[in-house]
Amino acid sequence: MYILPKADVPRLLDAIAARYELFGPVVDPISGDTLFDRASAPSAVRLDAPIPVNTPKFSVFPHFERILTYRYDRASKALDIRREDLVRPKALVGVRSCDLTGLLCFDRFFLGQEFVDEVYRDHRRKMLIVANTCVRPFAQCFCVCTDSGPAAVEGFDVNLTDLGEAFLFETGSDKGRGLASELGLAPAGEHAARDRAAVVNRSIGLFDGQAVENKAWISRAVNRLTTGFVKPETWEYIGQQCFECGACSFVCPSCSCFNVQDAATQAGPTDRLRTWDSCSFEGYSRMAGEHNPRRPIEDRRNKRFFCKLSYSQSKKYLRPGCVGCGRCARVCPGDIGLPNVVTAIRREITEPKP
Amino acid sequence: MSYHSGVCNFCGTGCGHLLMVENGTVRGVFPSPGHPVSRGRLCVRGWHIHELLATEERLARPLRRGPNGFESVSWDEALEGAAAELRRFRPDEIGVWASPRASNEDVFTAVRLARAVLRTPHIDLLSDAWYSSTAEVLREGTGWPGSLGTLADVRAADFLFVVGTDLTRQNPIVASELHFAAKAGADLVTLSSRTTQMARLSRTHLRPAPGAKKAVLAAMLKLLLDEGLADPDFAAGRIEGTEAVRLSLRDVDLAGLEKAAGLTADGLRDLVRRLAKAERAMAFFSSGTTGLGRDTVALIYNLFLAAGKIGRPGCGLVPVVGISNLAGANDMGAAPGRLPGWRRLPDPAAEAAVRSAWGEAAAVTPGRRIDDLLRDPAKPLRALVVMDHDEEINLHAEALKKLDFVLYLGAYDNPFIEFAHVVLPAATYAETDGTYTNTERRIQLVRRKTEPRFEARPAWRILTGLAVRLGASWGYDSPEAVFADIARAVPMYAGADYARLEAGVGGLAWPVDAAHPRGTARYERSAADPAPRAVPLREPLAGTAPAAADYPFRLMAGKSYFYWHQNNIMKRTFIPLREYNALLLLYPQGLVDVHPDDAARLGLRDKRPVRVVSAAGTMTVQARVTSDVLPGMVYAPYFIGPMIEGFLRPEAGAVERGEDAVIPVRLEKV
Repeated sequence: MYILPKADVPRLLDAIAARYELFGPVVDPISGDTLFDRASAPSAVRLDAPIPVNTPKFSVFPHFERILTYRYDRASKALDIRREDLVRPKALVGVRSCDLTGLLCFDRFFLGQEFVDEVYRDHRRKMLIVANTCVRPFAQCFCVCTDSGPAAVEGFDVNLTDLGEAFLFETGSDKGRGLASELGLAPAGEHAARDRAAVVNRSIGLFDGQAVENKAWISRAVNRLTTGFVKPETWEYIGQQCFECGACSFVCPSCSCFNVQDAATQAGPTDRLRTWDSCSFEGYSRMAGEHNPRRPIEDRRNKRFFCKLSYSQSKKYLRPGCVGCGRCARVCPGDIGLPNVVTAIRREITEPKP
Repeated sequence: MSYHSGVCNFCGTGCGHLLMVENGTVRGVFPSPGHPVSRGRLCVRGWHIHELLATEERLARPLRRGPNGFESVSWDEALEGAAAELRRFRPDEIGVWASPRASNEDVFTAVRLARAVLRTPHIDLLSDAWYSSTAEVLREGTGWPGSLGTLADVRAADFLFVVGTDLTRQNPIVASELHFAAKAGADLVTLSSRTTQMARLSRTHLRPAPGAKKAVLAAMLKLLLDEGLADPDFAAGRIEGTEAVRLSLRDVDLAGLEKAAGLTADGLRDLVRRLAKAERAMAFFSSGTTGLGRDTVALIYNLFLAAGKIGRPGCGLVPVVGISNLAGANDMGAAPGRLPGWRRLPDPAAEAAVRSAWGEAAAVTPGRRIDDLLRDPAKPLRALVVMDHDEEINLHAEALKKLDFVLYLGAYDNPFIEFAHVVLPAATYAETDGTYTNTERRIQLVRRKTEPRFEARPAWRILTGLAVRLGASWGYDSPEAVFADIARAVPMYAGADYARLEAGVGGLAWPVDAAHPRGTARYERSAADPAPRAVPLREPLAGTAPAAADYPFRLMAGKSYFYWHQNNIMKRTFIPLREYNALLLLYPQGLVDVHPDDAARLGLRDKRPVRVVSAAGTMTVQARVTSDVLPGMVYAPYFIGPMIEGFLRPEAGAVERGEDAVIPVRLEKV
């Protein structure tokens, strides 16, 4: 562990920007929204900005991405497939632990199973991650209930914790250690671990008063979902309010469902695109021969919550799929973000039987 | 940064979004949490607008029809050629069809081209069956040709009344506001023959037989008066027009309505009490292609006027607009009967003002609707200028083929170019600056995010170039210059300019003028304003006619979520297109909804073919058996090829009468 004086943050950002395309929390001057976005200049990265409205997942999993290009000549039946290496080295700076946990779920989905996704792997290999401990929760946050914050414990090259005058600079990889020596950072004193724990504990202590939107009972919901005890009426109540927009999946740090689409270009070759997709869509689970195992909207809804909270899914991610960022609640036109679903499940248990 | 703030261009809600731009193309979209309308939400269409903006299925370069089909030409050749062609016709042989999806600047330029340069009064909008007539009702009552309320008031409302179309499908974010309000305790009431999602989310669902909406609204108004719940001025006849409205109510037949519409007078009485008691009441109804007829809107207005909810804080009527700039395009005067700023012809003062601004020769007489001209057997129309024809349904294919000259400008590849002689590629809304006016009169400036792709040019620039080649002395060099002229021509926009519109997120709601420099959220009446008037009905209230023996079913035409507005542009997306196809693959011949009781009686089964026969037309489609429709009712969510040819074309008149209209049909098992 090292100490990074706050005056040296620009040096750190410059050093990173020299080697990587720099992404971090930036503030849109027109709307005032914080976005996790490409920084126009290193100084645009704001380590003190509120939780970004979007997740950094687009950096490894873009809205849509050309994964290959092909040309097919009908006459000769010749097929020319190209996969250009377009992936540039990216640095994600100021990643919150919830979003970093989402990336770890992605790693297990795209890399940790039978097949390795090469496109994803290329993004990930060339990446530098600088995490930033959340020193204050926001209204929608519940990472403390999903074991994903407020501080990162794995998956980073560097983890910063704001100690007031300086950042504690924790390294998690050779890349991180290389940065520390390049910047000539002083090692942290013997109290560093204790100071870090105090910051994290203080942040956790603030949840009660500040994370006021989402009082959910995640562990109980995990139990009910896994054992299949949630009543069909509860799913119907939730399904009735679903507008089928897909927003919950699109803002979710751990939702990785995608669609593959070929699109002809005017220049000649055809692009094969990977696009974001969502299990809330009927067409997502439709199979050949008209069969659809999840046609009613409530079945599609409950699929998503199984994916986020059931134990069987957690075994794949080695943790719950939900990372407690609360974004789904913010973007849902039907007011059925994950915390409200958990509340509906809990109400089923706590409300007296008629 | 790669994300840039803007406004979604699909429906008239006007949600704020952030477009992600990489290497000159739009690659993603995200909702903007700070936007006052959408507050961080988007619907399925908004979440996929980047797919449309990134598509390569664009009109890429100017085309001219030659002996061997289309050939690429330069912009100069194309514009010179189009100008030379247009010069061949008498002014009243030319029509201009503007797009309700285009910006105010594009539409205003088209109106000026039509009236001042081509000198034709035949300037019209595509897809505008009902917005004009709806706004005219509101203007007749209050002087405001547009929404009387603001979406910002929804969450504080006590009583919310939705008439007709499923808002969760048409304008999902407006519906979301209603849903949040209802969850917080507002009394949400839906009047709709079908069980829609909006109806399911409502506390009360009034479910009249198809075609009985007007009768139900009239009965509610009568009960409000009979129960002594009406505003004293209305009850005492001190409000202008009340007598005529009362006279129309003589025909209300409560007993007949109970029988025909499946409603109880007690239920309606309870409802009008809840309306009368509410401090803050709002109504929402669809306008545009499947809107409500003029008298139905007048009844909603009169009901709220009688209940004392017009001009009161927190109250309002909102005609919900399905296409991004349908309201703004109407404000610009893209209507044969009006000049910019809702000045209905004849209007000597407005005519003189337009002649002084646009030249003495400008056509200031009322023109005719393009639909109407195309249907006229005397064939008075010979040339047509068309912007962005989004409709998949084209009821005028034969007439269009006979035109001597058709100029088409649009951004996306479109089957309509089959009829065109010259095709000009236009920029998308993300490729130029422009303003759009949403369903609550909010004028929003959307800045350019990328350069126009291929050889496309912004429509205002194309139309200006054409005007100059036709001898016009005016020329606009930017959308901002066009907007300066809009502010001069349209009184409600008089105080707006780009700097003011851009000062905060969400723009300004008209009227923006010296008295309201920061715009006006809602119609609120102060003592100095003229009192709102009642709006008399034009036609007698017909009772719900018993179904004819030969045609015992009532068919309603509507729309579905993904195949939105029978729309060409949704076909340029991936996910919404797939969702549309998911339904079409189940029902490849097209479908009609039939109630399970009717299906059992006639031996119809889900997905099996059924013949739908009206007095004028026939179509064979598949049945979708669902209790979302009432017994005796048939619902067609959309029309595909053979349904259009065999059924819709002969019944076009009924469908154009909007959501009020029903077509008597019989169902035959095939």
